[in-house]
Amino acid sequence: MDTDVSQVGWIPVALNNAVQAGSAIRVIAGTDDIALWRGKDGVAHAWENRCPHRGMRLSYGTVCGNRLRCLYHGWIYDGSGTCVAIPAHPDLTPPQTIKVRTYRCVEAGALIWISDEDNSAPAIDGHWTPCRSLHIEVAMPDLPEILKWTKVNSVRPLSTYAADVALPDQGRLILAVHPMGSKGAMLHCALPASARRDSLLSASHWLGELRSRIEQAAVV
Amino acid sequence: MKLYDYVLSGNCYKIRLLLGFLDLDYEKRPVDFFPGREHKSDAFLKINPLGQIPVLEDGEIRIRDAQAILIYLASRYDKSGEWFPGQSHSQIAEVAQWLAFSDMITSTASAARLHDMLGYNLDIDAARAGAHRLLRVLEDHLAHQEFDGHDWLAGRRPTIADISCFPYVALAEDGGIDLFCYPAILRWIRRFTALDGFHSMPGINVSP
Ligand SMILES: N[C@@H](CCC(=O)N[C@@H](CS)C(=O)NCC(=O)O)C(=O)O
Ligand code: FES
Repeated sequence: MDTDVSQVGWIPVALNNAVQAGSAIRVIAGTDDIALWRGKDGVAHAWENRCPHRGMRLSYGTVCGNRLRCLYHGWIYDGSGTCVAIPAHPDLTPPQTIKVRTYRCVEAGALIWISDEDNSAPAIDGHWTPCRSLHIEVAMPDLPEILKWTKVNSVRPLSTYAADVALPDQGRLILAVHPMGSKGAMLHCALPASARRDSLLSASHWLGELRSRIEQAAVV
Repeated sequence: MKLYDYVLSGNCYKIRLLLGFLDLDYEKRPVDFFPGREHKSDAFLKINPLGQIPVLEDGEIRIRDAQAILIYLASRYDKSGEWFPGQSHSQIAEVAQWLAFSDMITSTASAARLHDMLGYNLDIDAARAGAHRLLRVLEDHLAHQEFDGHDWLAGRRPTIADISCFPYVALAEDGGIDLFCYPAILRWIRRFTALDGFHSMPGINVSP
């Protein structure tokens, strides 16, 4: 499925522990390549993964305080994506027009969500802890389709891409799918914050089996 | 101590990493792996009949195979005993299991890298698919270790199992193998590069 981030609302692109304070990672959302990073203050940012200078992936960059420094020529961008320093021209104040394209980025339900739209972010009650993110090789089936592959007691949709589900064996969890265009999809799973090792492990095995069923069904 | 070494080789890097962590002095004997193919020369085949690097010489002892060299160095020179823990039989076996696994990473992820970087003629799709099968196993294991509060492959402390798996996993993208779908592996790479005494090599992007 070709998903354009600008048309689909909020996409859960990672569990909240995928990117630590002071670091940057790469995520794919639909057909968009995105740098996801946290400043030292812990605030998550989602930016187009392309430096306005020469196009270097910003996910290779270095976080300096609450700013991101491009790996290639060291241009520095503040939290709004605006270029604030160019090392090769230390005396120059960079023009305000040098700005990275940014997405809206929020955290809820142990997930990091991004969007291109102004609509409100998914409201998720309670406290959650990250469990697993698993890659699926095949193009993404949608969530209702995926839920047909497993026994569920109840489903409360949180967005197009996520639901709060209750399972006969695992209890309650958040299941999210995140489309990555030609690169398949990710399945993310979060558990209530009270979950301990045994429930995390059990949910991880359940998610692994779900992935196998999705991948096998796509092959035949 | 003398290490037959090639700067871009992940298997030689395993040895440089442990020598760095243990803070041991050694002599590097560069092998012209590319384009010279010195590792296949008559002279080098007398040193290692398999025509492979790394090889380590320590006095009268000569060892080939990165994993064997790691075991030798850790059991001989690591006074802390932490890099190759020898107390528990099951932990020895666990480390050995990941050492063997790392050689499977060499034959897949490293092969893909040789194809992309040095133009080796091999089945690139098979190499990448093989690497992804192994990375899934590694990802599951590291995520489950985290549930137990463990940051490393074989327990609470980094061991030669981590050293042995690190290079070709961290270099996988050089072979066109995306790592962004393996979050637990990415966290482990970040922890590894933050270890005291860690040294980098070309192609390893170190987080500060
Ligand atoms: N099992 C050996 C494999 C070593 C290996 O593949 N070395 C590469 C360089 S990184 C090599 O010499 N390749 C040449 C060949 O295998 O013919 C080890 O772990 O040391
Ligand atoms: S490409 Fe980013 S600073 Fe040049």
